[in-house]
Amino acid sequence: MGRLQIAASDAHEGTRTYAPRLGGTWFLRSRGYIRYVLREFSAVPIAVWMLWFLVEIARLKDGPKGYHPHMSPAFVVFSIVCLAFALWHSYTFLSFSGLIMRIPIGDRFVPANFVRGGAYTLLLVVSVLIGWLLVWGGAR
Amino acid sequence: MAVETIQLSITRYDPAVDQAPRQQTYEIPYQDDMVVLDALNWIKTHLDGSVNYRWSCRMGICGSCGMNVNGTPRLGCSVFLRDYLPGPVVVEPLPNFPVIRDLVIDMTSFMEKLASVKPWVISNDHAPALAAGEHRQTPAQVEQYRQFSMCINCMLCYAACPVIAIEPHFVGPAAIALARRYDLDSRDHAGEERLRTVTGSDAIWDCSFVGECSAVCPKGVDPAKAIQQTKFESTLGMLLPWGGFK
Repeated sequence: MGRLQIAASDAHEGTRTYAPRLGGTWFLRSRGYIRYVLREFSAVPIAVWMLWFLVEIARLKDGPKGYHPHMSPAFVVFSIVCLAFALWHSYTFLSFSGLIMRIPIGDRFVPANFVRGGAYTLLLVVSVLIGWLLVWGGAR
Repeated sequence: MAVETIQLSITRYDPAVDQAPRQQTYEIPYQDDMVVLDALNWIKTHLDGSVNYRWSCRMGICGSCGMNVNGTPRLGCSVFLRDYLPGPVVVEPLPNFPVIRDLVIDMTSFMEKLASVKPWVISNDHAPALAAGEHRQTPAQVEQYRQFSMCINCMLCYAACPVIAIEPHFVGPAAIALARRYDLDSRDHAGEERLRTVTGSDAIWDCSFVGECSAVCPKGVDPAKAIQQTKFESTLGMLLPWGGFK
């Protein structure tokens, strides 16, 4: 690499180089980029849904009479799409947890599958707990 | 019917003449075991001696012949023409780097980024002296960093990373993977020094985890993993009273 570095430096000092620019459609160049952009932008509808959810929670301050959940078919479809996106984010995030979180035990590390399994179990337990609280609270 | 010829569309750029790169097409005799680098050498020998590109070992070790082949960063010596039949095969310089001439890119910025993470073993005063002999490691200690030590500095990961295109000062995947390689080496004691570089501006927190750096690596290195591990461990280092795990 040392020899190549010298060659490049010499050329750079003596000649004009062409600097390519990233076009607006760069993400169409590969399936990986498309998947990445979809993943990033899928956070936008989730954020919109969460804002709406906060508005609904704020309405609860007036008691059950002030609560008017959005029940239109379009909103139900929107909610299902947001749930799918949220599950996708959870999957991409948690599936990498085993590779990223290196937890030492003596000279070794907690196996990646164990960390990943623990993360998914925790997600399941918290989801069931919140679901139970919602059902239990709604039934009272 | 057997394929007899194949077309290659190669980027040409002469800074003395051209305002911007252009594509030039060549037709060459096809052989089933021909790689893109063989095709470029055939063109240079038989058709056009003015075509410029870097190459050296022809066996995927030196990392010199990185180029964009049909839109994907590849090593020219490791990609077969038969995978692109019936052609044409579009060969371009690696994206995200200034082009010096034809397929030759300016790697100065990469070399500076690489040097900034000090990719070499830095011992402290407590390390065994050289006179004491080899500084031995157990297989488990080697396994900690072995994957990241396979990097050949071919820069394909920089070409695949859109963050580099948007933030040219981003230290980038290979340099961070090599920083990680030395941080995980039991002989090295400069982890905190490197951490200041890779957690500073234009470093790990610029990465939005596109993941293409790992997808294009010809040596199976996973720079995206190195970056995310560094993010996790540097955060843990801030949160845990004893400074996290080594």
